[in-house]
Amino acid sequence: MNRALVLACGNALRGDDGVALHVAGCLRNGLCDPETHIQTDHQWTPELAEPISKAELVIFLDASASIAPGKIACQALQLNSNSPASFTHQTSPAALLALAEGLYAMHPARAYLLTIGGACFDLKEGLSEPVRRAIPQAIEKIKALLSEVTLPES
Amino acid sequence: MSKTITIDPITRIEGHSKITLQLDDRGEVAEAYFHVTQFRGFEKFCVGRPYYEMPYLMERICGICPVSHLLASAKACDMLLAMKVPKAAGKLRRILELAQLIQSHALSFFYLSSPDFVLGMDADPKERNLFGVMQKNPELGRGGIRLRQFGQQVIETLAGKRVHPGWVVPGGVNEPLSVDKRDKILKQMPEVIEIALKALAWFKIEFENFREEIRTFANFPSLFMGLVTIDERAGYYEGKIRFTDSLGNIVADMLEAADYQQYLGEAVEPFTFMKFPYYKPLGYPDGMYRVGPLARLNLVDNCGTPLAQQEWVEFRALERNAVLSSFHYHYARLIEILFALEHIQEYLEDPIITQSHARYSASLNNLEGVGCCEAPRGTLIHHYRVDEQGLITWANLIIATGHNNLAMNRGILQAAKHFVRSEKLSEGMLNRVEAVIRAFDPCLSCSTHADGHMPLSIRLISTEGKVLDEIRRGT
Repeated sequence: MNRALVLACGNALRGDDGVALHVAGCLRNGLCDPETHIQTDHQWTPELAEPISKAELVIFLDASASIAPGKIACQALQLNSNSPASFTHQTSPAALLALAEGLYAMHPARAYLLTIGGACFDLKEGLSEPVRRAIPQAIEKIKALLSEVTLPES
Repeated sequence: MSKTITIDPITRIEGHSKITLQLDDRGEVAEAYFHVTQFRGFEKFCVGRPYYEMPYLMERICGICPVSHLLASAKACDMLLAMKVPKAAGKLRRILELAQLIQSHALSFFYLSSPDFVLGMDADPKERNLFGVMQKNPELGRGGIRLRQFGQQVIETLAGKRVHPGWVVPGGVNEPLSVDKRDKILKQMPEVIEIALKALAWFKIEFENFREEIRTFANFPSLFMGLVTIDERAGYYEGKIRFTDSLGNIVADMLEAADYQQYLGEAVEPFTFMKFPYYKPLGYPDGMYRVGPLARLNLVDNCGTPLAQQEWVEFRALERNAVLSSFHYHYARLIEILFALEHIQEYLEDPIITQSHARYSASLNNLEGVGCCEAPRGTLIHHYRVDEQGLITWANLIIATGHNNLAMNRGILQAAKHFVRSEKLSEGMLNRVEAVIRAFDPCLSCSTHADGHMPLSIRLISTEGKVLDEIRRGT
């Protein structure tokens, strides 16, 4: 079992939409411990329910078009078995938690959705300046969330 | 007075589209149209690019079946180089394709269509989804997720990425398979084969509850087309094109995919961006044919792997000749998942699979190349022309979903005439019309290339419903 799972979602060809992938890249380059599994996807799909069910902590990481560019929002997610479930081959963090519980009778003790406000989602590579500047702060926030998780006694 | 019913958007398919049903004065369905309202244009913007970029450009057409585009494109490039690939590379490419077929079919059957089977065609649409399946039949939901996960893991293990991998190159693959990776995949085989068998056992009982849908979901005579290998099996990666009719007779056989322009025509209709391919000798629209899982199982005389063969025999016993109901695309999809799993195991157990020589190299030797394979949804053809510098001067893509366009349009008309009653519309009626399209599992992002033919009108309408302005083109 991975004690923590970071699920980054985005499209690096759509400007700031790829910020979560940049953050995941930094985390992979030694900024978090080997017990943390980091996965990047274009979208969150139902297959993630299985690894989510086995994790102690899950951090969903995404760009946001609804908060100011460079702003970081962190929302604790609660398990809600009545999560709206209008999904097909992509789905929301809340629905994934519910799916993990419904299918595998397990869900992480804690789950967060961390979003970074984007400025430009046009067809281009690279991040806008305010979003790029927000990356160190996002990493610090993730490290703080990860540090609260302890390995079970062996 | 005539009336129009619009179903927009069609849900639980890949891409954007709508259905229009035209009712006559008596309120009965007179016409049905499947409109594909998105446009891609890959054939145009690849012009001027070097041929070796094509596999990686073309796979971006789709996030569900990129591997098919990658392979068809790489095969077209192999032809430009006039070369074959090393034996190990050929088998690795086949495994990659079958893994994609598993994940794509699992998506179609378990995520998109099983809600109709588990919860019913008339169930509340808010519950008619994978979440509803989870609550009513969690074992089926877990099985579907596991099969899709397995297919994606095999793609990732071989090619480095689950979506849009770059591992297949003209001349082979760019990295051989290690023994560790092979063993990692092989270890999972018994579990996933068991899941596929259970799903088949469940569905064979369940579809008895859908007799009316089986009878009316695009259930009519048509031709079937697909690749068939020299040993008479469905040829997912290789083979020659075969056409059969609804009586099971071979209409044409051993056709080269590269000669597709001799036997396939493409018509364009003004209400959709998707072209209408047809079998040229019968003309348009009489040359309607179907491709994909149903067609592939109708085209051959054996399935080729032990467990899938048993299932195939049962499947073909559904009807005396070809299985005609498009509802049975779902059943065929499950059999193909089983076949693909068994076949992956066979390939992996062949010692050749870990050979280190996985790529040949050559320079440009031909100015024209055609690559063909069976994508999850049917026969896929990539055709390129290049100049002396290897830059693309022309490209044409014949996409799996497009082949089924005539049958899909006729299928929704058949289902709408049977189910839709204008005096009392219900959601379940309209869901059944959508479900006809869903049975074909169209991938619309792949199939929209009718550049410049579709009339487009933009209307500016006031809140009172008055048309303030209108721009039209191409009418």
